[in-house]
Amino acid sequence: MAAYITRRLLSTIVVMLLVGVFVFMLLHIAPGDPAAIIAGDNATPAEIASIRQQLGLADPLSVQFVRWFWDLLHGNFGRSIFYETPVITLIGQRLPATLSLTALTIAFAVILAVASGVIAAWRAGGWLDGFLMGFAALGFSTPVFVVGYFLIYFFAIRLRWLPVQGYVPLSHGLWPWLSHLILPTVALGLAYVALIARITRASMLEVLAEDYIRTARAKGASTEAILFRHALKNAGVPIVTVIGIGVALLISGVVITETVFNIPGVGRLAVSAITNRDYPIIQGVMVIFSGAYVIINLLVDISYTLIDPRVRY
Amino acid sequence: MKLSRRTMLKAGAAAALAAAPSVPQAKAASNAKIMNAVMQGDLRSFDPIWTTANISAYYGAMVYDTLFSIDANFKPQPEMVGKWGLSEDKRTYTFELRDGLIWQDNMPVTAADCVASIRRWAVRNGGGQMMMEYAKDLSAKDDRIFVLALKEPFGLTIPVLAAVNTPDCFMMPKKVAETDPFQQITSHIGSGPFVFNEKETRPGSRYVFDKFTKYVPRVEAASGLAGGKIVKLDQVVWQNIADDETAIAALESGEIDFFELPPLDLLPQLAAHRAIKLRVLDRSGSIGMMRLNCLHPPFSNMLARQAMLYLINQGDILKATFGNPKYYNKIDSMFGYRTPMSNDANTAWFKAASDFAKAKQLFKESGYNGEKVIILQATDFDFMNNSAQLIAGWLKEIGVNAELAAMTWGEVVTRRASMAPDDKGGWDIFTTYGSSFGLGDLVSAVSLQANGKKGWFGWPKNAEYEGLRKKWAVVSTLAERQAIARQMQALAWNFVPMVLLGQWVSPAAMRSNVHGLIGMPDIIPFWNVYKS
Repeated sequence: MAAYITRRLLSTIVVMLLVGVFVFMLLHIAPGDPAAIIAGDNATPAEIASIRQQLGLADPLSVQFVRWFWDLLHGNFGRSIFYETPVITLIGQRLPATLSLTALTIAFAVILAVASGVIAAWRAGGWLDGFLMGFAALGFSTPVFVVGYFLIYFFAIRLRWLPVQGYVPLSHGLWPWLSHLILPTVALGLAYVALIARITRASMLEVLAEDYIRTARAKGASTEAILFRHALKNAGVPIVTVIGIGVALLISGVVITETVFNIPGVGRLAVSAITNRDYPIIQGVMVIFSGAYVIINLLVDISYTLIDPRVRY
Repeated sequence: MKLSRRTMLKAGAAAALAAAPSVPQAKAASNAKIMNAVMQGDLRSFDPIWTTANISAYYGAMVYDTLFSIDANFKPQPEMVGKWGLSEDKRTYTFELRDGLIWQDNMPVTAADCVASIRRWAVRNGGGQMMMEYAKDLSAKDDRIFVLALKEPFGLTIPVLAAVNTPDCFMMPKKVAETDPFQQITSHIGSGPFVFNEKETRPGSRYVFDKFTKYVPRVEAASGLAGGKIVKLDQVVWQNIADDETAIAALESGEIDFFELPPLDLLPQLAAHRAIKLRVLDRSGSIGMMRLNCLHPPFSNMLARQAMLYLINQGDILKATFGNPKYYNKIDSMFGYRTPMSNDANTAWFKAASDFAKAKQLFKESGYNGEKVIILQATDFDFMNNSAQLIAGWLKEIGVNAELAAMTWGEVVTRRASMAPDDKGGWDIFTTYGSSFGLGDLVSAVSLQANGKKGWFGWPKNAEYEGLRKKWAVVSTLAERQAIARQMQALAWNFVPMVLLGQWVSPAAMRSNVHGLIGMPDIIPFWNVYKS
């Protein structure tokens, strides 16, 4: 097991480097010039050329690549072209907001979805099942930004229960932190609730039809024990797999949610960097996202051994 | 415990009831001494000399001060300067700094600081470059006095120092001002009315400015950007909210106090809100323009450029983007909308446009033989996107082989710098907009240059026009400048350095308890502002 984890962690570094190289190439093939953007609209071509020179963007691509890759190997993600700040500092400033949002979203989605999926399977074919799965279909098919604007209008503008936008660090208090994250969490989490709930229901239905469940019922086990002790644990592997996929997919959802709710997270940092052609930030964010993606997959794989003792690495 | 439907419903209802009272009403950021504002864009550079971006000039006006500033009537007035004088031969300006000027690191502002700042700024500003061509010497006489000695009289000296035309002439400490003008500074130390709060700032997200408590304002009342810059707020926070809908919702809920550029299509929604007011801060507004690539056919031929004057229907372009005629006007003067230099010389085309038959005839006379006309279409800006589409349609209607090249504005600013022909990554047309007020400054406005490849994108060239532009800077009276502006425009609408697409204003939206905002072009001053 330890050897497996070590191998996977080493492969994470390789994946991050490969993603970094790929993103570097892609960015420099794509049109756009940060020097022209930063110089402003009144700048002359000569002034833009001078800024390009100063930023090192006039060097041959091979020189830029070697410089960047050498720094990356030393753990240096470079400095933002626009903000003149180390990329790692910018990401560090933005990470708490993104982590808060994703952690709350995962918690919200998993708790609500697993409960809904279990209940829907328990009452399969009934009105409760129909209601929950109808709600899941709606949640899955409504874009994040539509849900976001609806929530803002209803809960922030009409009822004035929660703030429209922004982020307050946890160090400023639990409620200020939570109040700014409730609406984005719900907006971002609904699609994942739907996805996980449907998989949970399907997986549970399969398990509930097994002979050992019938035996448990015959022995007089309570509904609660049958659902949560016998059925849910055995239905766990596909549920955990889809949760893992969902967490990885959250990365794209986070970008939209952070924009709609004005949360200063890594997603928004990436979007503004793409608009500005701030290459070092884009590269840094992509490398970190790819690392996170690989580690999430590793955690999912490890969790299989906890759910199903037959699984060994 | 047996799990039943009834148990579940009861538990759900109980949970909902328990949660409801515990959710306190969200409170708006209502601190009367803190102003939360959403500005026109992200503050990408903290060096208002290095970049010409307007938002950096806004930052500059917060943190730095200027020697002279323009008042509400657009007349230059001393700001950091206490006394100044001009010798009888009009060749020597003597400036004396006023009392109480201090940098935000508590060092006194000296004449040497100002000399270094002017030198750095003059490398990057068109007016400054011209002023320095006339300068023989610029030096500090003592800590408070510095002198500008000229080879010949330069009538624009004071207007250029006071001008709001990026980059503006902001004063910086000597050590900072000695930075290469093409290298970005990293210091935030100015002597202006606000101190930049680096600690609370999150680049790309929020920019925080605190009141500079040691700032000594002038005794005169605030007028335009001149007079006493009395700060009535403790803190100004520029929130970078990327999504317009979210910014409007935040304004409606009171989380922000000011939104500089709300989208025009949402103005009726804001106007209907009781706690929000709309105000046009920059009455001269913006001017839309089309740049034609004068280096390659068809627009290397003057007749093809003239054809574009007859082809364009400003009304259609303005209506397509701004809808409500209350906010836009057609325009015929290349020197801005109602600026002191606006005039009607040689504007017969304006009365005739649009005249497709005339445009077609002029294209034919230019020798146009079906070559491709590439129009850069910035799809992420409504005005650029709509205008490009309309222009392409009109060109096709008169038989021109027009082709839209759809891209982001970031890609347009890269491609427009290319002087290559179309088949090697060049272009023929792009549309953009700029400050109307800025076009009244014939020396600094880059879009008014006609100095060929040394100039702005499109690279029109006309020696006579450029001669007049230089002469405009030298004469000393407004009447003389206006007369030269007429001559320049008469020439320009013959060789057509650009084509105008109309003028518009964009009202700012703010909470009704925000007062004291001074309406000026190209700068949003936060001094004098307070919340009731």
